[in-house]
Amino acid sequence: MRKIRSERAVSILLGITGIGLFLALWETIGQFRLLGLSWPPITDVLAFLQDPSRWPLFSRALGATLEALVLGYIIGLFAGVLTAMAAYLLPPFKPGLDRTSAFIHAVPSIALAPLLIIFLGRNSTPSALAALSTFFVLYVATSSGLASTERQWDDLLRVLGASRLVRFRRLNFPAALPTIASGMRLAAPASLIGVIVGEWFGAPRGIGVLIINAMQNFQIPLLWSAVLLTVLVSLMLFGALGFFHTLMAERFR
Amino acid sequence: MKKMRGRLSTVHPVPSVGPQAPTAISVSEVTKKFRLDDGRELTALEGMSLELTTGSFVALLGPSGCGKSTILRLVASLEVPSKGVVAINGQPPAELAASHRLGVAFQDHALLPWLDVRANVELPFRVAGQAVDRRRVQDLIDLVGLAGFESARPKQLSGGMRQRVAIARALVLQPEVLLLDEPFGALDAVTRRQMNIELQRIWSERRITTLLVTHAVDEALFLADRVIVMSGRPGRVVRTLDVPFARPRQPDVMRSSEFHRLSDELTDALDSPSGSLG
Ligand SMILES: Nc1ncnc2c1ncn2[C@@H]1O[C@H](COP(=O)(O)OP(=O)(O)OP(=O)(O)O)[C@@H](O)[C@H]1O
Ligand SMILES: [Mg+2]
Repeated sequence: MRKIRSERAVSILLGITGIGLFLALWETIGQFRLLGLSWPPITDVLAFLQDPSRWPLFSRALGATLEALVLGYIIGLFAGVLTAMAAYLLPPFKPGLDRTSAFIHAVPSIALAPLLIIFLGRNSTPSALAALSTFFVLYVATSSGLASTERQWDDLLRVLGASRLVRFRRLNFPAALPTIASGMRLAAPASLIGVIVGEWFGAPRGIGVLIINAMQNFQIPLLWSAVLLTVLVSLMLFGALGFFHTLMAERFR
Repeated sequence: MKKMRGRLSTVHPVPSVGPQAPTAISVSEVTKKFRLDDGRELTALEGMSLELTTGSFVALLGPSGCGKSTILRLVASLEVPSKGVVAINGQPPAELAASHRLGVAFQDHALLPWLDVRANVELPFRVAGQAVDRRRVQDLIDLVGLAGFESARPKQLSGGMRQRVAIARALVLQPEVLLLDEPFGALDAVTRRQMNIELQRIWSERRITTLLVTHAVDEALFLADRVIVMSGRPGRVVRTLDVPFARPRQPDVMRSSEFHRLSDELTDALDSPSGSLG
């Protein structure tokens, strides 16, 4: 126990050291203009973010991005999990559904975005791209979670006279929950990328819009602030869903 | 304990079993081959025959790997014979399982890790779509000595405790046929003896047709009407012994000279060349 705890302390320490080194490097490159004007010191970016007069701008952009993210993520989550369940319960359809979802995944969102703009409009495209990438991750995670039920439990439920549906409800689904939660964590950053790419193609507002505008107008501190915000949101989501995954693994394993 | 004993027996009157009791489980001339990953075939059982009359208790003894669990899995309809026939009450064994009348305690207990002890014991009711009989669940948990652990999760229990939960679960639906695969393998000698005594008592109240796999000769003799000794792989019957002790059996039969004599006989049968590890 003590060993585990000290190992964890070491890994946290190493992590903090790593981040510290990274930030120091960033600051040095910026201060001495090692990579030219487009690489500002981190302190400049933070100062830019801290200025209250810019908060309404950031919060409006962040709000729009998060709204699109949550909507797309939830749609993709349910679609992915439900489709994988259908594929599991209706084996004849599984190969077709596997191939369809792999195909959806293989089409790059950059190529899909203009089409979605035409079909769904500018407002819905970010959510749609987020939903598509979430869908694929959750489809794969749910399918593999459902397929990996241990044989001893399957035997038990058969001996108890459980139908396929009852086995699904009492065994396969609960046993798959940790894998599904792990897919939910992996899908979050991918989903955020989907939203930002969608916003680049002309959403009315959002972090992605901020990034594009700042880039085109050479507003370097604004550009970096928007990127930093994106990274922070992504890390926070990843962390929160990682915690959720730990809970599920603890509960269902 | 006393109170509970009364409850369990009043709910289920003892059926009288005559000498001409019908056949409940029949395994006739069964050969079971497994195909291994490298393409070779492994013969686990060959020409194995076995018959259990309704309400009888049969124990299977044999060296490790001789196919004892395979027989239980065949009777539980989890495997199909490569040759020969398995029938329960003249029907394919899958019918008994489908009508929720089969109780099985596996060698590896197979508790669901996300359910606590009580929910694991209640599982057969839920799978069968029946209302959970809470009192029966509690009685069985008490009976296997796990009162106070109702809300514990399987990973918080010892191996022997998990096995006992599995036994309670196997009994909870009042099965018509009970299959026990080394159910007391992980228990210490004292608890094992207590469990044997309890199982003997429950069984005497409601003679469920039971097939027990065990490595312990004295356990087989104390519990069973008939003990079957199997050879090493491929498993065949090398010795059948009808146990003469009257029921209900008291623990002190285990101290009688007759018990010791039979126990030596069975141990010899296990040790004989055809019964040793093949
Ligand atoms: N699914 C399977 N695939 C391949 N071989 C199997 C399979 N199940 C059992 N066997 C083989 O069949 C033989 C008999 O196995 P079984 O589990 O019935 O033995 P057992 O008598 O119960 O042994 P033990 O006392 O150690 O539990 C073994 O050699 C085993 O390797
Ligand atoms: Mg076995």
